Amino acid sequence: MTTSARSRNEEIKEASRFLRGSIASGLEQTATGAIAEDDTQLVKFHGMYQQDDRDLRPERLRKKVEKAYSFMVRLRIPGGEMTPAQWLAASRVARERGNATLRLTTRQTIQFHGLLKGNLRPALRTLHADLLDSIAACGDVNRNVIATTNPAQSASRAAGVELARRLSDHLLPRSRAWHEIWIDGEQVTGGEAEDEPILGGTYLPRKFKIAIAVPPVNDVDVFAHDLGFIAIEENGVPVGYDVVIGGGMGMTHGEPDTFPRVGDVIGFCSPQEAVALAEHVVTIQRDWGDRADRRHARLKYTIERVGLARFVEELAVRHGRRLAPARPYSFVSNGDRLGWVEGEDGLWHYGLFVENGRIADHPGAPWLTTLETIAHRHRGAFLLTANQNLVIAGVPAGEREDIDAILDAAGLTRPGALRRNAMACVALPTCGLALAESERFLPTLVTDLERLLTRHGLDGQAMTIRMTGCPNGCARPYLAEIGLVGRGPGLYNLYLGGAFDGSRLNRLVGTDLDREAILAALDPLFAAYARERRDEERFSDFLIRTDRVAPLPEGPEAARP
Amino acid sequence: MSIALAEPPFAAEELAPLGALLARATAGQRRWLAGYVAGFDAALAAPTAAPAAPAAPPRPKLTILYATESGNAESIAAALRRDATRRGFAVRLRDAADTLPGELSDAGTLLVVASTWGDGEAPQRAAGFVTALEAADAPSLAGLRFAVLALGDRAYARFCATGRLIDARLAALGAERLAPLAECDVDFASPAATWSAARLSALATADAAPSDAASDRVIHVDFAGAATASRQAPAGVAVSELINLNSSRSDRRTWHVELDLAGIGLAYEPGDAIGVWPRNAPALVEAVLAAAGVPAEADLTESLASRYDLTTVTVPQVETIAQLSADSSLAALAADARAFAAWRADRQLVDLLALADRKLTAAQLVSLLRPLAPRLYSVASSRKLVGDAAHLLVAEVAWESHGRARRGVASGMLADTRPGEEVRVFVQPNRHFRLPGEAGRPVIMIGPGTGVAPFRGFLQEMEATGEKRPSWLFFGARRFHHDFLYQTEWQDWLRSGLLTRLDLAFSRDQPERVYVQHRIWESREALSGWIRDCASIYVCGDAAGMAKDVHAMLARILGADGDEQLSALARSGRYQRDVY
Ligand SMILES: Cc1cc2nc3c(=O)[nH]c(=O)nc-3n(C[C@H](O)[C@H](O)[C@H](O)COP(=O)(O)OP(=O)(O)OC[C@H]3O[C@@H](n4cnc5c(N)ncnc54)[C@H](O)[C@@H]3O)c2cc1C
Ligand SMILES: Cc1cc2nc3c(=O)[nH]c(=O)nc-3n(C[C@H](O)[C@H](O)[C@H](O)COP(=O)(O)O)c2cc1C
Ligand code: SF4
Repeated sequence: MTTSARSRNEEIKEASRFLRGSIASGLEQTATGAIAEDDTQLVKFHGMYQQDDRDLRPERLRKKVEKAYSFMVRLRIPGGEMTPAQWLAASRVARERGNATLRLTTRQTIQFHGLLKGNLRPALRTLHADLLDSIAACGDVNRNVIATTNPAQSASRAAGVELARRLSDHLLPRSRAWHEIWIDGEQVTGGEAEDEPILGGTYLPRKFKIAIAVPPVNDVDVFAHDLGFIAIEENGVPVGYDVVIGGGMGMTHGEPDTFPRVGDVIGFCSPQEAVALAEHVVTIQRDWGDRADRRHARLKYTIERVGLARFVEELAVRHGRRLAPARPYSFVSNGDRLGWVEGEDGLWHYGLFVENGRIADHPGAPWLTTLETIAHRHRGAFLLTANQNLVIAGVPAGEREDIDAILDAAGLTRPGALRRNAMACVALPTCGLALAESERFLPTLVTDLERLLTRHGLDGQAMTIRMTGCPNGCARPYLAEIGLVGRGPGLYNLYLGGAFDGSRLNRLVGTDLDREAILAALDPLFAAYARERRDEERFSDFLIRTDRVAPLPEGPEAARP
Repeated sequence: MSIALAEPPFAAEELAPLGALLARATAGQRRWLAGYVAGFDAALAAPTAAPAAPAAPPRPKLTILYATESGNAESIAAALRRDATRRGFAVRLRDAADTLPGELSDAGTLLVVASTWGDGEAPQRAAGFVTALEAADAPSLAGLRFAVLALGDRAYARFCATGRLIDARLAALGAERLAPLAECDVDFASPAATWSAARLSALATADAAPSDAASDRVIHVDFAGAATASRQAPAGVAVSELINLNSSRSDRRTWHVELDLAGIGLAYEPGDAIGVWPRNAPALVEAVLAAAGVPAEADLTESLASRYDLTTVTVPQVETIAQLSADSSLAALAADARAFAAWRADRQLVDLLALADRKLTAAQLVSLLRPLAPRLYSVASSRKLVGDAAHLLVAEVAWESHGRARRGVASGMLADTRPGEEVRVFVQPNRHFRLPGEAGRPVIMIGPGTGVAPFRGFLQEMEATGEKRPSWLFFGARRFHHDFLYQTEWQDWLRSGLLTRLDLAFSRDQPERVYVQHRIWESREALSGWIRDCASIYVCGDAAGMAKDVHAMLARILGADGDEQLSALARSGRYQRDVY
């Protein structure tokens, strides 16, 4: 890359003194809720986004106030496993400093919304006291590493979390900036020399995502990641991992050279070499990734550009050897197991469906309070799933009734099959990129669809439905059986045919549909499905078999089906 | 009662005070007035008759002392001085703020005008004087002759407490009372004018004033006083802009009100207040009539809306309604100040009227009522910057109690105004709340909530005049996003350097409640430095809570003798408060 062609973000990173910028002095400017423009890029590396309440925008100018700026803070929770004490700390921060909600995300982490600038330090200090941080939860770095939460395969799951932690720690920025700014509250004098041996002084060209899956459940969407590890079990423990590279979901409307891509399986590695291998994938992307055009900076584009073979070749050079051939595996589903599941370890795990991942005290359903009650008694773990659900893990058989009683008393509803598999990104009002509603709209659309399914005698039929407010794809809509991607207020593109287990991309079948049009498009398909489906056949498989949707995904040839 | 002339030669606003005065006048007062008017005409017919006779005897000495907070007592005292001077008295006008009791011992004759504030307290600048007067070692005032006019509001439990105290102490210290204490309710203008005229006449007779008493008396008594004349004859000005500055998610509404002063001679300075004469809302008038059982007839409805206080409950009203009610507990309530205060805290006149067993007649209802009083709002602008306009910052008062939704009379009216509609206003000067005269002197401005209004005026003034001085503002409200009044303006002034420093306290944005006094404490070192550098401190806003807490915090920062230091600062004009 030539320096002159570098994107603006590259210059900001380079000038940032290892992610410090002027963030600390921006915190002293109490008259504004915002920070300096360049710093808004840097705080992402600290796990936060500056946002503003878009609902309030129209009135603010006239009222002589600036936009209602606040911050979203995203935690780093490798593998999504938290202790009850950590859960309580997060809950407290949400109540005292945020908007009294916790948002579980597809990266198995927690997002706080609506934090005022002045509340960032106290919030992070509270979290840090319970060993939580938000380092590299956003930004051009390795993001929170996710791992399966399927509680049944206890040993493999535990190994996955352990690997997730090792990967996350190893690939973390070495800069002390986060601690200095948010915890110690003082700037380093003299800008002591630091080095980023893995990520480099300008960090990665773009975000980088790693997932660890344990077949037969692909709950983490391992093919949608820059780097994926598929556990290969022997006798219930992982003996190594198949390695997947180059997956990614994001695309840009009207930019035909941006596309979702399903990752490639390139071989098998042992548990011991996984971290080193990850480092080498990361450094190739660091050196080869596109630093001029951020829309083409993800690993999948690097691989498309240089070719998979050349990339694998370089990896062998840096890694010091070729990977062993991939071993067979098979995925059956990508959903979470809800309700009680007994693990191989004899402990019980309760999978709790959380609509849109939003935990708040809703009228009649006091989620936040109820989970605090559980956290006060529970001695196991809380697992955040990649489908934005929650597992209350490690419950001795004798304590199941206690948990049941608390959940029942609070009326945390038992959702229908459609709702359980529905997922939306946050979109409006907080996401600055949103073109349409998502989290606030999907629940009502699901209600409509449930009515439609009932009409066709398809009650209780599970199918995956995912919605995002823009093509960025934060809720992975391109892997759903029904994908809806916001185009403008009230308008969505409709994608159909993604596999229920996430192993096949869906295909664009309609553009700029409003609610009525979405229902009108699905109604005849549901009718046909009810009439003609074979035993147990999934909705998307039915559409492909009956040629109602062509099986090949969008994008260049190299993107695998 | 109203004046019913076939074709009145006066405008309605001019007639109103006369009507109000006549409505309450005794037969004797009315006779006096008739003579006054006749004499006035006679004097006009011979305008040059009075002036100075060459060999006048020495002029009698008269000291006029006022204790004021919002300027009413001061304007009465100023009018009194004008009249007394015209009548040949050698007058000294003194502010209790700058006076000690001992300095009055050889004053000869003393007329006092004093208002009451807070919960029956002296106006803050006069607190030192009153304390000294109460002290066990207060000087003897034998040989002094005095009369006291007390200003107050019957809505407060300790009505005219300060005037009463001064009156009692002067007598106790040996001074001779010339006339019994006179107490004025909120409609003080006419009674104060009457009292002033009566005092001067009595003194003129007693002291054998130099000029012809009869004609002099008639010529120079100023009916309502020059300063209060604008209060009594307000100007109609159009509201040109009305913006609720709180966000739509706030639990409060604070209105930025712009008044169009084009072609209207209302001169104000930043620090002054604008008085607004409100009208009662139609719904309130209706509710009062319904509660009293009086039919809503057009003239009555209009006069209730425009002339009478339909919300405040006073003891005499309770006594009257007690007689119309079988419920004996009402009479007991009127007799027990504590119980009454508690009962009244969240009740209004409608609640009281609803307790009467019998319907009232229209006349009975009207006779119960006090006149409507104007409300003051600190001016939030500088004419030098905004031109022919005045800006106000008005917190809308609204609450619910005993099943009724209630709204502030004036703030509710302003909130409901449509741009272009007129309101009746006047300027209430406050020369005790002014930017320092000394160029470059730093200012520390403490104004949470609507208390920030005058400081916007100060900064506009500084911007318009280009005068630079270190300036530090403390502002506070509930929530940063929803209640940050004039945020972008402060930001602009910070950026331009006109505002040196801004410290903010938003009480509900974090688990612990943070108020301006906490920010003051956190900044105590810098603040002490500013005070050492001769900064002037200004406090504006809520009197009951904020101003007291801020005062205590400032005193704490200043050290063991903090209170005395603050008093000294106040005396030298470096600690100015405009609290309500
Ligand atoms: C010098 C001075 C400057 C001022 N400057 C400003 C200013 O800049 N901005 C501003 O907004 N105000 C200012 N005020 C206050 C203002 O004059 C009025 O007092 C205020 O607006 C209320 O008037 P109102 O007619 O709306 O309410 P009113 O009809 O007078 O009602 C107010 C009364 O209602 C009662 N009340 C209010 N809330 C409750 C409740 N929750 N429960 C029970 N009873 C309640 C209280 O008795 C209160 O006194 C100032 C006052 C003074 C003296
Ligand atoms: C905040 C406040 C408190 C008051 N407290 C009392 C009181 O306790 N007793 C009383 O008789 N009048 C009280 N009043 C009424 C004033 O004395 C009255 O408005 C008077 O005209 C003010 O005169 P000044 O402008 O000279 O200070 C109070 C007025 C206000 C605004
Ligand atoms: S998908 Fe788009 S709208 Fe939704 S959260 Fe991501 S960036 Fe925002």
